[in-house]
Amino acid sequence: MPLERSPPKPARPKPPVEWAPYLFLAPYIVLSAAFFVVPFFSAAVLAFYETNGPRTRVFVGFANFRFLLHDPMFYTALANTTAFACASVLLQLPLSMGLALLLNTTEGRLKGFFRLILFSPNLVGQIFVGILFSVLFAPRYGLINRTFQALFHWGLEERWLGNPRLVMPAIIVTSLWVWVGFNMVYFLAALQGVDKTLEEAARIDGANVWQVFWHVTLPSIRHVVVFVVITTIIGSYQLFELPLALLNSSSGRGPANSGLTLITYLNELAFESGDLGLGSALGWMVAIIIFAVSIVQIRISRVLED
Amino acid sequence: MLDRFPYGKAPLCLLVIAIVASALRVLAVSNRPKRADLVFVTLSAYHYEAYQKPIREFERSRGISVRLQFANATSLQSRLQNAMLAGTEIPDMAELVENSLSFFARGPRKDIGLLDLTDRLHESGLDKRLVSSRLSLWTSGGRTYAFPHDVHPVMLAYRRDLVEQLGIDVTQLDTWAKFVDAGRRVTRDVDGDGTIDRYMIDLSYDGSWSLDALLLQRGVQLFDDAGKVAFDNEVTVDVIRWLLRQSFGPEKIAYDPDASGSSGQSLMKAMTDGLVLFVWTPDWRSRVFQDDAPHLAGKMALMPLPAWEPGGRRTSVWGGTGLVIAKKTKHPDWAWDLANFLYYDPKEIGARFARTNIVPVLEDAWVLPELDVPNPYYSNQPIGRMYADLAPSTPPRRLTPLSFVAEQKLYEAYARSLEYYRRSGEDGLAGAIRGELARAQEYVNLRAERVAALAGAQ
Amino acid sequence: MSAVHVVLLLLAAPIVALHRRPRLALRYARGVALGLACLVVLAPFFWLVAAVFKDKSVFNEFVFFPPPAEWSRKTMNFDNFVQLFQGGKRGSNGTISSETISFWQYVLNSAVYATVGTVLQLFFASLGGYALAKYEFRGKSALMVFMLGSMTIPSVLLLPPIYKMVVDLGMVDSLFGLIVPGMVTAYGIFLFRQACMSIPNEMIDAGRVDGCSDWTIYYRLVMPLVRPMSAAFCLMSFLGHWNAFFAPNVFLHSPENLTLPVVLNKYISDYSQDYGIFLAGTAVAMLPPALLFFALQREFISGLTSGAVKG
Repeated sequence: MPLERSPPKPARPKPPVEWAPYLFLAPYIVLSAAFFVVPFFSAAVLAFYETNGPRTRVFVGFANFRFLLHDPMFYTALANTTAFACASVLLQLPLSMGLALLLNTTEGRLKGFFRLILFSPNLVGQIFVGILFSVLFAPRYGLINRTFQALFHWGLEERWLGNPRLVMPAIIVTSLWVWVGFNMVYFLAALQGVDKTLEEAARIDGANVWQVFWHVTLPSIRHVVVFVVITTIIGSYQLFELPLALLNSSSGRGPANSGLTLITYLNELAFESGDLGLGSALGWMVAIIIFAVSIVQIRISRVLED
Repeated sequence: MLDRFPYGKAPLCLLVIAIVASALRVLAVSNRPKRADLVFVTLSAYHYEAYQKPIREFERSRGISVRLQFANATSLQSRLQNAMLAGTEIPDMAELVENSLSFFARGPRKDIGLLDLTDRLHESGLDKRLVSSRLSLWTSGGRTYAFPHDVHPVMLAYRRDLVEQLGIDVTQLDTWAKFVDAGRRVTRDVDGDGTIDRYMIDLSYDGSWSLDALLLQRGVQLFDDAGKVAFDNEVTVDVIRWLLRQSFGPEKIAYDPDASGSSGQSLMKAMTDGLVLFVWTPDWRSRVFQDDAPHLAGKMALMPLPAWEPGGRRTSVWGGTGLVIAKKTKHPDWAWDLANFLYYDPKEIGARFARTNIVPVLEDAWVLPELDVPNPYYSNQPIGRMYADLAPSTPPRRLTPLSFVAEQKLYEAYARSLEYYRRSGEDGLAGAIRGELARAQEYVNLRAERVAALAGAQ
Repeated sequence: MSAVHVVLLLLAAPIVALHRRPRLALRYARGVALGLACLVVLAPFFWLVAAVFKDKSVFNEFVFFPPPAEWSRKTMNFDNFVQLFQGGKRGSNGTISSETISFWQYVLNSAVYATVGTVLQLFFASLGGYALAKYEFRGKSALMVFMLGSMTIPSVLLLPPIYKMVVDLGMVDSLFGLIVPGMVTAYGIFLFRQACMSIPNEMIDAGRVDGCSDWTIYYRLVMPLVRPMSAAFCLMSFLGHWNAFFAPNVFLHSPENLTLPVVLNKYISDYSQDYGIFLAGTAVAMLPPALLFFALQREFISGLTSGAVKG
């Protein structure tokens, strides 16, 4: 492209320093300094101490981190949480996308109706959902087991919340009920912005439904997809209230720690055992893990784009 | 106006509601009573109900104002825990559940935020009058920090009508061996649909309360006198094996109606349907049954636990509430008086038993006539007398900062043993259980080392 | 082969029958799939409604409602709601262990917390988001990185230090002490940043030429243009506040200050087997958010379209 030179403009006076952005952001800065930065440092520093009771603390350097790295419960929590994150991305998102695609082709009133229904689980608080589902998962009398029995003549006595192998699936099923509708709404909104003519063109060219989706529709909404995937992963790693309420008889742990997530373990270390130093160390590690996973995720999505 | 609000319709509505609601709240709050002299938080609706009248009486006779609040156990726990961690104030008096004292009694003695009651208990002679096995639950490092509320002996409640129909004579079931035999005859699929619809007894499928109750009945503690982990022993192995057999073995007799879980009315339905004939019933639970399953009145009865060996202990213990006083309270003497009044006043105790079925922890209160009143729900048995007779043999429980952690690891060992049992049955089961217990013990020792190192470093 | 299997067959049959009319079959299949999804989503709600009206003696007897033949005061009644509104369980001797606090006080508390919290969050988030979207200034990228990082810290961890701070400030056990620490969210600021970025700069320059102050531009020019995002954010924030449990549980102590989730949690205890009151409370607590969502559905969706959705 040939360089174009326009005639030199007369020198403009430098604009005065704008106070507006600082003023507008001042509430955030002040409040987060008080209620985020200060507590954060206080909690962060605590990771290098061992606490015993409310007032005693001893500096122990990296001992807390070393303990966690050798702690089987930490690895259990990590495995559980990662399994949940994977299930969220691989199960929840395709379901959300599928429902969004189905709904996208519905018209008018019916669409709003379905959308409301599918989104409605989000109107209930997580703690309510957890306790509600803990009753639904009850053996023999709970709704879920009775449904399986009616449909497949099997499963009446399955101990969803008592069998270590079924606890994480139970948590995943509950989270599906809550969040499929939520992400579906995001995807639906995004699909509305897709250029229909591109899809038509592809179909005329002979592409089948799947190919149209994969090569035309999906790339058009990739920004939303990436956003949703990142927030889903970050949210998954911070899963806390749902298992706590679902497994409230064992304070979120489940049999053989099968329902233990990173944050419920943190809650237990810090609050139930009172070892706030260990809890803070775990907090550091969770933050680092989330950060690392997000970076990897962003890299991958960039690679996929090209 | 609606259109001109820059943020839109919804924010405007919310803003209006916010202003109206805040105004209403300011009005409501302005009628708030002034801060009471004593704030007392209880964690049971039954207690809340039971304390109303005595507290009014106390207020009247002493001219002190008392604020009674109700918070459920986990709420109160987390509130107190946060207050402890942040070093802020806790209510003047609060009720705690068993095991939670271990959290609050962490750390060097001077840091414990609870009033040390040992000396006062000794001076007033209360420590002799209370069931001795209960004091250990609320004692840490040789000092007692809470008033024991109860003894909570355990019996078995059973469907008398069904059991009689089946020809079982409960007076013969004085050992677990005999009980299991009777159970095997009775547990079966009655209507032929493939699922067993009559079980002998309820047990927890993931250990938890069943393991606790059975181990305590046999005198096993989580920690020994020196504070070292002690559950890795042959008795524990034996109990775990027994539990596995009765819950999952080929001749199982137990069902878990998920009663300690969150399944609403499952236990009630199980009892109503005769799905489970015998149910573990500490004294507080006998009342819960009366309230939640009134339609079973007259059909139920109670019997002491079968013993492990002939002439052995016929009860266990389940649950426990204690009352703690904040060290920083402005009125320790008033708090002491109120606690004494609520928990140990002779006029109060009889009425309390009538309302809650909870046997008094004061031994000299066992002569109260209320305990001998026949209870129509339980086939006119004098259940107060029956529980009181068992109270002296209630096993003690010891408390350490790591009791909570130790319990969790024990349950985990049980769950793992269950996996082994499912895969390989009885073959090498004892060895597998021993391995799991050793692993659990190792973890608890690691945590104990941290606490010890801390204590040593000060 | 039960009634359920028959129903399933009836549903599947038309798909086979329509194999000559693929488009119609597809539409039918789509309807069935959506219907199935709705069924799965609605089943727990339906169960909830049935559960709160059932008497506790027949709670597990019937999966949903008892068959009409068995409807009577013994099997279905308003007991759960009565106990909920009177503030206590009915004991076996018929008395209610009631708190002296009216149920509506809790609703009011929740309403104050949710609306005031939402309005404040909306104000600060939109201000901050607009600033980040349309201004360049020193420290902007550092601030954004900081904000992103702050979203990865588990908030549970910060609870004890914040609690201590709130106590020291004398704000504990008040809704005010709950609202203030949560007034600003990095997430909200990012949402509004996305929304504001799609506003053409020319419009803002035109406003500046006209002599508008920064505040006027924000208030009169920009905010009306991001109304959809405001609506969407309001809904999300309201939901978050209304259903919040963990922090209110820790910060609020006196009974007259509690919010709904905390109060309802009291009815779940290890010793009781009766979940009726809790479930009734859950059903009642769902109504305001449902109303809000119903009224705001369209704006919520278009808010998402305008904001986080566009690349």
